[in-house]
Amino acid sequence: MVKQPITKLGAPCRAGANAPLSLVSVNCCICDLNDVEPVGVGEDFEYRTSPDTFLAVRCRNCGLIYTNPRPAMQDLSRIYPPDYHAFEFSAERYGFVYQVRQKLEARRLLSCCKGLGKDARIIDVGCGDGFHLNLLKKFGQPSWQLEGVDPSDRAVEAGTRKGLKIHHGIVQDLVEDFVLPQASYDLAFMIATIEHVDDPSAVLTTVRSLLKPGGKVIIVTDNTDTLDFQLFKTRHWGGYHFPRHWNLFNPNTIRALAQKTLMEVDTLTTVVSPVNWVYSIRNTLVDWQAPKWLVERFSLNSTFSLGIFTLFDMLHQWMGRGALIRATLRRPL
Amino acid sequence: MQSDIRESETIEFDSRKPVAIVGAGLAGLTAAYFLRRQNVPVVLYEAGQKIAGLATSFHDQDGFTYDFGAHFLTNRLAAATGIGAHCRTVKYYGETVLLRGRTYSYPFGLLQVPRFLAGGLASRIQPVDEKRKNSSAAEWFRASYGRELADEVALPLLEAWSGAAASDLSASVGNKLQNSIGQTLSLKLASRLTGRAVACGYSHEMPENPSVWHVYPDGGLGLLCQKLADELENAIQLESPVEEILVDSGRVQAIRVKGREQAVSAVISTAPCNILPKLVKGTNVLQPLSRFRFRPMVFVNMRFQGRGLLPDTVLWTPENEFPFFRLTETPLSMPWLAPSDKTLITVDIGCNVGDEIWQMEEERLGQYCLEHLKPIVPDANQRYLGCRVLRTPIAYPVFLNEYEAERQKFERSTGVEGLYSIGRNGEFDHILMEDIYWQTLKKVRGIVGALQH
Ligand SMILES: Cc1cc2nc3c(=O)[nH]c(=O)nc-3n(C[C@H](O)[C@H](O)[C@H](O)COP(=O)(O)OP(=O)(O)OC[C@H]3O[C@@H](n4cnc5c(N)ncnc54)[C@H](O)[C@@H]3O)c2cc1C
Ligand SMILES: [Zn+2]
Repeated sequence: MVKQPITKLGAPCRAGANAPLSLVSVNCCICDLNDVEPVGVGEDFEYRTSPDTFLAVRCRNCGLIYTNPRPAMQDLSRIYPPDYHAFEFSAERYGFVYQVRQKLEARRLLSCCKGLGKDARIIDVGCGDGFHLNLLKKFGQPSWQLEGVDPSDRAVEAGTRKGLKIHHGIVQDLVEDFVLPQASYDLAFMIATIEHVDDPSAVLTTVRSLLKPGGKVIIVTDNTDTLDFQLFKTRHWGGYHFPRHWNLFNPNTIRALAQKTLMEVDTLTTVVSPVNWVYSIRNTLVDWQAPKWLVERFSLNSTFSLGIFTLFDMLHQWMGRGALIRATLRRPL
Repeated sequence: MQSDIRESETIEFDSRKPVAIVGAGLAGLTAAYFLRRQNVPVVLYEAGQKIAGLATSFHDQDGFTYDFGAHFLTNRLAAATGIGAHCRTVKYYGETVLLRGRTYSYPFGLLQVPRFLAGGLASRIQPVDEKRKNSSAAEWFRASYGRELADEVALPLLEAWSGAAASDLSASVGNKLQNSIGQTLSLKLASRLTGRAVACGYSHEMPENPSVWHVYPDGGLGLLCQKLADELENAIQLESPVEEILVDSGRVQAIRVKGREQAVSAVISTAPCNILPKLVKGTNVLQPLSRFRFRPMVFVNMRFQGRGLLPDTVLWTPENEFPFFRLTETPLSMPWLAPSDKTLITVDIGCNVGDEIWQMEEERLGQYCLEHLKPIVPDANQRYLGCRVLRTPIAYPVFLNEYEAERQKFERSTGVEGLYSIGRNGEFDHILMEDIYWQTLKKVRGIVGALQH
């Protein structure tokens, strides 16, 4: 009789990450209710930071998708390991793709800045290593005052090295400690930030307080009102980014969030992005133990797959269902 | 899983009057957990010495694990309760049917039998007389699967399972067990492709898909209940059977535990619903429930030398030469339940409390099963290492037509304000753990709503 190998406990994880995380249950951040249905189950396909499995649920009341239970705040350093990609976007590493992305992003950013005065004050909340600030510095008006906020010390270090002004910490604390002045900014960016934070309405309320009356915040985040979500939502959807994307929105829930935080919706559109398509396929392949060379075809390094899926997502964009949401919210006068 | 009180909804409650929960199985614990999260005071009374109820496993010194009721849960439920890191994936789960000495995989192998296929197709083509189809389980199965498959396989199994004639059982049994053929096919295929035991017919409350599969928690199913209980330390009272539920003017007022009366704002019972009429004082609207029957069953867990004695994890035996209707070799799906060179076969025998089978002592039951296993496992005698017997008077609800109308009424409400009956036995439904969890969650919301008014 052959000895049957005993399956391991939990999800596969990287060396040294065998201990389960501490998890907390939460309510919907918009309704403060726990009225949910399960949508997907997954694990950390990308970084393998723990053996835990995670559940994405949908709030029956408002439609928000969120991870529940989710890692406790004290485990943040575990789920954002040193090799986390937001910390490593260096030109050498991403070569051609980086160049293209830079151009594209610069154009998008500047279109958000239309109508800003010479002395405009701009803040990027969740700025990472300062990728977007750097673009504004390069391609925007030299007189703009640019600042960033990020809780990761590695990100702050990287950004500061580029000569950017980056505050270390979370935005609520920085306001409370008078590091960031209220009612002072013309424009705020929250690009790929809102899905990472523990309390989106608290963060947005704080950002609102930073804005001058009439000032705007641009939120860019994964869209759940898409085909890629529909196809991959039960497990492999790239936008889950298990266990790091805690709240995932669609245009309706963004509107609800705006209402809750007393912001006016200025514009609400979707933006083309290949990333969730590429990562959904990659996660599927990883989960099915596909050979490494095949998995590698689907990454931020792969010009080919990024190109193909950019085109593909443009089709969806025409139908108003691009992979990302871009919402411009205004602090009422 | 700790609850984040800061984010949970705060509801003003009369804290002197808690909600009393009867039973600390999965349903009671889930209800308590979610009421607590909404700051509703709860007290959970458990008659037994331990929590978990039917979700209990026993381990012996030789390395065997005996599950009392549940054998697995889903990865989705594990993730929902935060125990995913402690679960093993079940890679395979297969069912076969033994007919005239041959085994057929369930359900598709059966369709290779020409008469089953022909009957099945005929049942699809013929116009359905809905009234007749819904008149009993027997008619329902014949109309849905064809006379041959129904009469030779489905109905004998149903009768052995429930201990009643299929013509006396309600058609709702069929509706409860049903999964469309297309869905079954795609889930079984997904299971093959992914090398995971994709759940098929496990959950009716939430949709099944290839990303939901069987898992088994380290040490047994009780881990799930333990996890929920960790949040409730001081709210659980063991060895405290609820003796009476006191109703006045159609509303629950108090309970009696250990002879002492305690005021409550509501009662959530997970006890078998047919004992509620005895517990509830001050009204007799629950009287019809006393007729609801559960099928008692004896589970003989037989230990053997070797592995792979059955053709598949589950072997259904519809032919009445067998005193049992189902054999399960759990280590084929969950190798960790027995030492690697040994195995465990669970023999399910339906019976009545007090009858010959019910009273038979352990070793004689073992011998009795061995005898009848011979046609299936010819060298069973030489391999036999002993057995462990589990008995339960409430293994499965029996859906008799005679009380179907009352059952449907009960499904909607207990008829007593402030009294809720939930869980597998409380709802009188053969639901598995995941359905219990989500249904309880839904009910708790309703209960909180009612309490607020
Ligand atoms: C044979 C069998 C196989 C199964 N297999 C599976 C499976 O593979 N997978 C799966 O998911 N599910 C399975 N199930 C179902 C699963 O075990 C049950 O659905 C689940 O455990 C039931 O939980 P519960 O809380 O509703 O009831 P229980 O677990 O029965 O809990 C009820 C509790 O109430 C207590 N109680 C009763 N009366 C009183 C009183 N008056 N006062 C105080 N306490 C009281 C009892 O002691 C008990 O602890 C199976 C069930 C059976 C019977
Ligand atoms: Zn909501």
